[in-house]
Amino acid sequence: MNTNGKEGFEPKIVGYLCNWCTYAAADLAGSSKLEISPSFTVIRVMCSSRVDYNLVLTTFFSGADGILIAGCHPGDCHYDKGNYYARRRYGLLKSVLGALEMDSERLQLSWISASEGKRYADVVNEFSNKIKEMGPNPINRNAYY
Amino acid sequence: MNNSYDVLVVGAGIAGMEASLLLAKGGKSVCLVEKLPLIGGNIIKNEENYPHLECSTCMVAPIQQEILQRQDIDVMTLCTVEKVSGDEGDFSITLNKKPRYVSLEACIGCGACYEPCPVSLKNEWEENLSEKKAIYVPCAGALPNVPVIDAEHCLNLSGKKSCKACQEACMFGAIDFSEKAEKVQIHAGAVIIATGFDILDTKRFANLGYGKFKGVYTSMEFERLYASNGPTSGELILRDGEKTPKSVAIVHCVGRRERGYCSGVCCMSSFKHAIFIKHKLPDADVYEFHSDICVPGKRSQEFFRRAKDEGVNFIFQPDPESLDVRENGAGLEITYKREDGREERISVDMVILESAVVPDESTPEIAKIFGIEQDERGFFKTSDQIMDSVETSRPGIFVAGCAEGPKDAQMAVIQAESAVGKVMNCLMVNEKT
Amino acid sequence: MSMKIGVFICECGPNIAEHIDIDSVIKKIVATEEFKDIELVIKRHKLLCSNEGQEFLEKEIISNELTHLVIAACSPRDHESTFINVCKKTPLNPYLFKMVNIREQCAWIIPDKEEATNKAARYIRAAIRRVLYQSELLEREIESRPDVLIIGGGIAGLEAALSLASKERKVYLVEKKESLGGKASLYNLLLPRQSGGVDEIQKKIQDVENSENIQVFTETEVESVVGFFGNFEIVLKSLKADESRTELKAGGIVVATGFDLVNPQALSGYKYTKDDDVYTSLEIEKMIYSDGKVYLKSGEQPRSVTLVNCVGRDEKGYCSRICCGAMIKIAKAIRDLSPDIKINVLYRDLCLPHKEDQRFFDEVKESGVDFIRVKGIKLKERRIEYTGMDGSKSEITSDMVILAPAMVPAEGTEELAEILGIPLDETGFFQEAHYHLNPVSTTTEGIYIVGAANGPQGISESILQAQAACGKILTRLIPGEKIVPEVKVSEILESFCTGCRTCLEVCCYGAIYFDEEKGVSVVNDVICRGCGNCAASCPSGAIQAKHFTSRQLYTEMIEAIR
Repeated sequence: MNTNGKEGFEPKIVGYLCNWCTYAAADLAGSSKLEISPSFTVIRVMCSSRVDYNLVLTTFFSGADGILIAGCHPGDCHYDKGNYYARRRYGLLKSVLGALEMDSERLQLSWISASEGKRYADVVNEFSNKIKEMGPNPINRNAYY
Repeated sequence: MNNSYDVLVVGAGIAGMEASLLLAKGGKSVCLVEKLPLIGGNIIKNEENYPHLECSTCMVAPIQQEILQRQDIDVMTLCTVEKVSGDEGDFSITLNKKPRYVSLEACIGCGACYEPCPVSLKNEWEENLSEKKAIYVPCAGALPNVPVIDAEHCLNLSGKKSCKACQEACMFGAIDFSEKAEKVQIHAGAVIIATGFDILDTKRFANLGYGKFKGVYTSMEFERLYASNGPTSGELILRDGEKTPKSVAIVHCVGRRERGYCSGVCCMSSFKHAIFIKHKLPDADVYEFHSDICVPGKRSQEFFRRAKDEGVNFIFQPDPESLDVRENGAGLEITYKREDGREERISVDMVILESAVVPDESTPEIAKIFGIEQDERGFFKTSDQIMDSVETSRPGIFVAGCAEGPKDAQMAVIQAESAVGKVMNCLMVNEKT
Repeated sequence: MSMKIGVFICECGPNIAEHIDIDSVIKKIVATEEFKDIELVIKRHKLLCSNEGQEFLEKEIISNELTHLVIAACSPRDHESTFINVCKKTPLNPYLFKMVNIREQCAWIIPDKEEATNKAARYIRAAIRRVLYQSELLEREIESRPDVLIIGGGIAGLEAALSLASKERKVYLVEKKESLGGKASLYNLLLPRQSGGVDEIQKKIQDVENSENIQVFTETEVESVVGFFGNFEIVLKSLKADESRTELKAGGIVVATGFDLVNPQALSGYKYTKDDDVYTSLEIEKMIYSDGKVYLKSGEQPRSVTLVNCVGRDEKGYCSRICCGAMIKIAKAIRDLSPDIKINVLYRDLCLPHKEDQRFFDEVKESGVDFIRVKGIKLKERRIEYTGMDGSKSEITSDMVILAPAMVPAEGTEELAEILGIPLDETGFFQEAHYHLNPVSTTTEGIYIVGAANGPQGISESILQAQAACGKILTRLIPGEKIVPEVKVSEILESFCTGCRTCLEVCCYGAIYFDEEKGVSVVNDVICRGCGNCAASCPSGAIQAKHFTSRQLYTEMIEAIR
């Protein structure tokens, strides 16, 4: 059933966070007891460059309404240039989502450094609110696996 | 906790931490001693480091964590060196461990003890820009993430009043008011001293107005202002708590004449501060009063160009330290002479003083305790400025980082790695005898 | 093999217990349909990271013969290593363990207890599903050679050789010129803070030549290098007529190839020929060293000398650090030779970052050397037009002009970078692995860059860097000890690989090589750092990042958002 109704809709959002920067920021946000939307689910990867096309698409097909890929600021990547590759993949993914007739705003890439606990909370909450406004993801297959 | 180590490292700043980690990875046992309750030194006070504006926490936190988690590095915070005897290969060292009053093993860093504490005081680590409780961690993200009690101000410990508020709030029984200072005896084959630096107190320059005018800041204060885990969460708000500056003047070379050397890092620091301001407040006017632009190395000049591209106004002054800063209504006014001799006046809301790098205040005492020499500037003297600049006058004792002289973080790490090389050879030689 | 998963939920005192209904979490997990066929041992504990908690875990793992482990507690950044160490005391492979963050990323950020409880249950279920797809990963040891190849016999190379050589570690020192010593052996003018000079260098050269553990190859260059950290295979080529080759094996390589000076005649604004009395700082230093005086092409002593700093600084885009100090010492040397020579130094910024240099500058200034700060200069033969700080234009014509040209990487740097497979940065010098944390290493593990090859710097800094590289090598290439590489590396499935080599392109560490015979790419797991970039880039899905495989990530994700 694809209601697209926004009433009482709790989005499911997946965040692929890089271990060295953003995950550390998430921990800092936690230690600072900042409130973060429970719709946001964290999956830790070693580097934002690990996030590949299939992973993102499968995540959408499996029912995620929004995906946030987050890593170190350009130049700060723990693995030298990994985040630059993440950025490239993200660019391509945005156009692919368009071809799937899905609002590409459902995919976001953010650079969040380890000291930016508050910023992490802001980015995640803003993104969660935005996805909530957008409603359920139209390409939820829910039976990929 | 052993009492026999391969190496004693004094000071857990970037040089001390890098040296400790490298030695441990090389199979050596390390005792890392730090006088503050947290490790990281001065570099963790920065939000970002030049020349790439890399996030300082992202860079340093993994190192701090690895050091705290490794079994082959014993970290002793709140600890200073009291006595040293012996020779390279076998130094006998007495350490003085101040009480934290909170158990490092039992505390899990939940922070429940802060709120109930009735005492508030200025947070020195935050350059007195914010307050802390008598039981505190210096900043969010401090490592080890275990608070310490300021005995002087704690009602209970100073005997003013019986107060157990924090202890009662702690679910883990981690607080122990009866903890006493401890003397710890250790042996070490070699020593690396990495006690770092301080910046010159700028109150002595009355014409610059620090301490007199609220809008005048030291470079350290500004670093904390800009830091996202700092007193204002990174917002550039002046001391009145409301105003953001519309124009800022950055003054170079403060103390250069008095100290008799160029610190070599303040120019880069000032460009960084200017870029910080432009990032947060793109419409703000930023002026840099400079004399020689000191940008050695293959990356630094590019950083200077970056500051120029941000629209920072560079005003040459043969002697920036002698600028005249006065109050003008709610703001400040700087009077200076232009290159053609005419006098000029600008109004600013904020002045940042980039002052000279000086040895950490513990240097004379450490020199005495270790029996090593200081040079004329007060830094530790190394045996030969061309061939060896990590060896002190005493074999087996090495120095690394700003303890030896003003330098940037990269050079401090290079010196730390160099000291490790010397120590490895020193230990090898002494093992055989 | 029957699977038995231990799931331990830490209360973390009140931190988790007060915000999450742990019993409810346990009930939800036990009731999960998919887990009906899996044997679960699920318990709660007050404080797993404590000594008592760790002992508890160890006992539980062993007595229950657990095949997999999930711990729900604080952040893995806090205690994953603690629990990995517990696993290492049991038969359970530490990579069959997943830690779930239900404190920083659940209990502490979700105020509503019911929501936090549901979230925690979700995360733990996801971890249980994921851990079943995790594989045993075994640490392995590989042999390594402690010997070191040093490329370049200048001051940095000599220093590295002497600090590294020992009975257990041979050093091979390769130098393309006929003799050792490099640029520093060509002159003897020193700053007051420096001591030693050419005699010291000559002594080092002798020590190197006399050392049993250092083998010197002069008039030789490096032809090829293959292999990796601990196991480099090197071919040297003699530059003499016979062009003989030598094969070597080494564990580490130190690049100390030094610098050259930019040719001012190639810069705009500097017009002169070889007949004019315009010299570079290095030429004057050599002149003073070999002849004990300065003289013009005519043989006469100059009556006036102008020194010009920052030559090429703008074109190159960096400050070479040493020239200000060098010019001051040359000015002093000339002043000492004759009190009558008129000496001017035209400079833009004084770069004196060493704690002792300001004093030297002050002294030389007192001795009657004119330091004139300028905004820009133009040179035509011996006439200099310069713009003063107030904008006015002036001119100086001197008998002799001495230029301080920018330092540039030594000739052959680009070729050597190719041979070694290490990058150069935008200035043309070798690129360091990390500006702050790894300033003398490169992204190729085991290859170090020191001295002026790393970037413009003087003798003291070069020596320091050489010693720093020694510090790295002495702690990482230990004679008799093996290297334990990273375990969570990438792996390429041969049967899926189409040989497109995309992965080779994206790897920042050069950890992938192409097997020409089989036509497939192969990961060198000694060098791989485990970022997963190659796994994401492979169009055939042939690459899996161990411990972060697609199957593991999908499973975790699907369960977490169910």
